[in-house]
Amino acid sequence: MERFTALTRTVPLIIGLAVVAILTIVLCTFTGPAGFGFVTTAPGAADIVGGIRFPRVLAAFFVGASLAVAGAAMQALFRNPMADPYILGTSSGGALGASLAVVFLGGIFVPIFAWIGAVVAILVVWSIAGRKGMIPVETLLLTGVAVSFFFSAIVSFLIAIAGQNVHQILFWLMGGFWNASPSSAILAAFILVPAGTLLFVMGRDLNALSLGEETAAHLGIDAGRARWTVLGASTLLVAGAVSIAGSVGFIGLVTPHIVRMLIGPDNRVVIPASMLAGGIILVLSDTIARTFFSDLPVGIITAFVGAPFFIWLICQRGTNT
Amino acid sequence: MNDGPGINAQNLHAGYGTEDIVRSVSCSFTGGTFTGIIGPNGSGKTTLLRAFSRVLPSSGILELNDRAVSEYTPAQLGMALGFVPQDEGRPFSYTVMQVVLMARYARTSRFASLTPADYARCHAVLEKTGISCLKDRSIRALSGGEWQRVLIARALAQDTRVLLLDEPTSHLDLSHQSEVLCLMRSLAGEGSTVIGVFHDLNMAALYCDRLIMIRDGQLVADGTPGEVLTPEKIRAVYGADVVVSCHPATGRTFLMPLPSRTGNPAHDKSLNVLVISGGGSGADLLRYLSGRGYQLFAGPLATTDTDYLTAKALNIPCIPILPFSQIPAHALEKLRGMLSRADRIVLSTHPVGSGNLAVLDLLREEVPSRLIIHLPEGRDFASYDFARGTAAAAYAGLCSAGATCTSEYNGILACLNEASGRDMEPTEKSFP
Repeated sequence: MERFTALTRTVPLIIGLAVVAILTIVLCTFTGPAGFGFVTTAPGAADIVGGIRFPRVLAAFFVGASLAVAGAAMQALFRNPMADPYILGTSSGGALGASLAVVFLGGIFVPIFAWIGAVVAILVVWSIAGRKGMIPVETLLLTGVAVSFFFSAIVSFLIAIAGQNVHQILFWLMGGFWNASPSSAILAAFILVPAGTLLFVMGRDLNALSLGEETAAHLGIDAGRARWTVLGASTLLVAGAVSIAGSVGFIGLVTPHIVRMLIGPDNRVVIPASMLAGGIILVLSDTIARTFFSDLPVGIITAFVGAPFFIWLICQRGTNT
Repeated sequence: MNDGPGINAQNLHAGYGTEDIVRSVSCSFTGGTFTGIIGPNGSGKTTLLRAFSRVLPSSGILELNDRAVSEYTPAQLGMALGFVPQDEGRPFSYTVMQVVLMARYARTSRFASLTPADYARCHAVLEKTGISCLKDRSIRALSGGEWQRVLIARALAQDTRVLLLDEPTSHLDLSHQSEVLCLMRSLAGEGSTVIGVFHDLNMAALYCDRLIMIRDGQLVADGTPGEVLTPEKIRAVYGADVVVSCHPATGRTFLMPLPSRTGNPAHDKSLNVLVISGGGSGADLLRYLSGRGYQLFAGPLATTDTDYLTAKALNIPCIPILPFSQIPAHALEKLRGMLSRADRIVLSTHPVGSGNLAVLDLLREEVPSRLIIHLPEGRDFASYDFARGTAAAAYAGLCSAGATCTSEYNGILACLNEASGRDMEPTEKSFP
């Protein structure tokens, strides 16, 4: 009966989140500075709602979902609730790629360069940390931090010499969806569906890994393969998100926390719930940014609203994360 | 090999990086035995256990249930071998039940959910380890001992025929230690192979059928607790002096560490001190002086006497005699020899009757000037007299003949120090 009490708690939660997600997407599509209602015949309304807002809302949803899922997976893998999806240098790599495109190519191919930068950063971290076969996750983390700082230094240098293009880099660093197009929404979905599904299926492996790689091995899990699969899937998710929206902070770190506070740390539930919650939070944040703050970078909204909310949650629940 | 479950290692090497910690270990473990791995800190006990469970790469032959360990898939290994780590990080607040249920992952497809049978099995092991009441608690809220029992329960829920334990009782209190180890014994009794790393040699001796002692990653002894736990081997491997005896209550080998003899370098170790006692009066004194590094001898002691057992345990030479009988002439002869060799003689006041009166007479004849008599505070010689006054008189006679009489061990020490030409060290009131 214990089994079913667990199911009766989690299944409604996932269904509820899914319903909220759909409602959020619909409502936010019809919200914006141009102020169209649900039923409107104003000229150009269909173009704005269907051609601009809807892809942007979808892109925000998929990017938020990607970041939150990757964050949840990385936190389990690194056995550290403070790990965020950028921890292995993805965001600084993406920033470097984007900055290079801004400075040397006059701002074309920014998303592609950001994606390449993010993936290169991870590959550099892997190849440095993974030289000696089996490596402890701590080595991976430290290498990620070191590589991040190195890439950030180059980005700072590029900012210094960027001249009048500097605001383009800065805006990219803060993250936003001004350039979101139907193709970005499709790209994000294209990564999220397989990678998110893979991580969802690996919920048990993540549970065991979150107690330690040796523990996972002793419990009959192929810990080495599980680790690289989780890292690979997370990297693809984060690199995709970074190439579309820049480095939007906070979502990937905090969404899994909020989810765990509500339903506990079982990754079989945390992964899908984070996916939905991350999407909802980013869509709402982006809608606020474009509706009330004349398209402020959404990263500012997520941190400005999210951080106090998170602190309030911590105070409510004590240290029980 | 045999048909039962077990581990067979031949010429096994394992370590971290390029350095081998475990070197050329060959041993095999069969079902139905509870084996303890013992050895000093850093000797490679845990490394050996981790090599067995394949989390550390090893070279050499390593077979689990008659099949090379390298041939197992991770899931097969999870069903064949359970492992209880010393401790484990707890970054997330899973419930106890969730952690124990993870033991069943290896047995179910990732696309199927755990069955009621899995839940039943986990409830059973929680019951067995006495933590049913904790099943819905967050693991982060558990004490170290409760968490250790959760780790044990999880390994049990794996339902493996081979169980490896890395210091399974290090965080447990006395009653839980014996509970857990009794459980391991009963598992071994049911045919499982149980191998544990132990720091507490007495626990190992009490519960294990077989002990393996390792030093510097190499096997140095393998056998029953009685065969492995000898003072010589312990001294060679741990560098410590111990008393080994058979515990009267359990009938198992029992160890007691001795205070380090090099602990009081201020005393003259070459001073020969003969202690004459009886009826348990000298046991404390023997321990006290032995701990201070004197060359000790003991006089005639009945083989049922506590003093005799103490002298034996401390490796102090003495003259064994039959209880409740006259001291034979050859024993007195031996005593005379000892008296002539001793620099100082300490006489611990003890009951004297017609049987052992001869000893006091001999002392009177030979050595009153080198004699120190210890008479406990608040007692007089008469209370030790079982020879109608003659014994008390003999004691008093020794005093008047020049023996030093003292009621404190410090007084004895002072005399001995004087004898070795040193000043007395700052007084210590505490016993070793």
